[in-house]
Amino acid sequence: MKRAAALVPTGEATVGPFFPPRYVDAGANDLTALEGRRARGETIEIHGAVREEDGAPLENLIVEIWQADARGIYRHPADPRHAEADPDFLGWGRSATGAAGEYRFRTIRPGAPAGRAPHVNVMLMFSGLMRILKTTLFFEGDPRNDSDPVYCCVPASRRELLVARSKGEDNFEFSIQLRGGRETPFFDD
Amino acid sequence: MDYLTPPRDERTQPQRVIAGYPQTARRTPAQPLVRREPTLSELTGPLAPAGRLALLGGDIAGHREKRAIGQLMHLCVRVLDEDGAPVGGAVVEMWQANAAGRYIHPNDDDHAPVDANFYGAARLVTDETGAFTLRTVKPGGYPVPGSGGWWRPPHVHFSIFGRVWLSRLVTQMYFPGEPLNGQDRILNAVPDAAARERLVARLEPPRGEPYDALVYEHQIVLRGRAATPGQA
Repeated sequence: MKRAAALVPTGEATVGPFFPPRYVDAGANDLTALEGRRARGETIEIHGAVREEDGAPLENLIVEIWQADARGIYRHPADPRHAEADPDFLGWGRSATGAAGEYRFRTIRPGAPAGRAPHVNVMLMFSGLMRILKTTLFFEGDPRNDSDPVYCCVPASRRELLVARSKGEDNFEFSIQLRGGRETPFFDD
Repeated sequence: MDYLTPPRDERTQPQRVIAGYPQTARRTPAQPLVRREPTLSELTGPLAPAGRLALLGGDIAGHREKRAIGQLMHLCVRVLDEDGAPVGGAVVEMWQANAAGRYIHPNDDDHAPVDANFYGAARLVTDETGAFTLRTVKPGGYPVPGSGGWWRPPHVHFSIFGRVWLSRLVTQMYFPGEPLNGQDRILNAVPDAAARERLVARLEPPRGEPYDALVYEHQIVLRGRAATPGQA
């Protein structure tokens, strides 16, 4: 194949205030089953509120997640182990925040991908966000966090803001502050 | 296939905080974004989310007595990566206002009429050449409430899933020759003039009897290059 001259990636833009409600499909925030078949692993719930600068909750903000399966494998050919990925786990979900800024996912506790601590990749889209915002959720108390390369590239004083707090055995809270105060660290990739 | 996602030229991407668009200042992080080397987490992504997302057809203009009001258009879009290689199998979500500039959404107010025959959203998948075609009507412009006279020019929203997490794109497409383009606060947030120009579709000659639709072509480039040239 002859390689074409490099093209410049298209400019991003905000989703604006009118992202169609029908694009938040029923069940899109439940990753624990695919076409009726149950994914392997421990079911957990991840939830939290998303707030802007003055602490006001943001409604209708779109949260998307991407994660490895219970054994830390991504369902994607770039993962050397992808042939062993759980066939009943896609690893992707979408939730829209409610009036109190709350989002919620039902998913499988991810295993540790090679060289990483268990984590969930998070992106946010909203009116006034000119680019997709990306962050990473880690799990409270996991000793592997301290050696995770993404966790460790965040200034030490802000790392705890990437940690979802355990609210019971299978329940984790990960609230997100877009700006100011305890601002969630976001990544520039 | 391994994929590389080189950093983008900032001038080709919108500024994050925009004068006259106050929500950007309340929602854009104040702390610098943290640079990280992409790991497998960023260089994989949902390849088949269509299994989770109900597809809607690419014909949203309706027919005969159900035809939406407005100028019919065929919007022919190709989705490529940074090598110019087609991105087939990509889920595309689009949404737009009706010909009067009104969205079907609880956030839209009463400034313009709803068209009973137009919802204004389509979700489809690109073919093996990275292409998809929409049959729709040209959207109208509309005023942004509380903005002191800012009107959005006619535009179409796209949300596209590429091959990896870092290819995910949300963008807007504009129309050539629109007088509102020059003063739009979102389009003009992109500093580089050539990058702005690439957000504008191209008008092509109408195709075939009865020549009842305008034809616009547009190209969207997702982040990502194949690591190994020639590898499929």
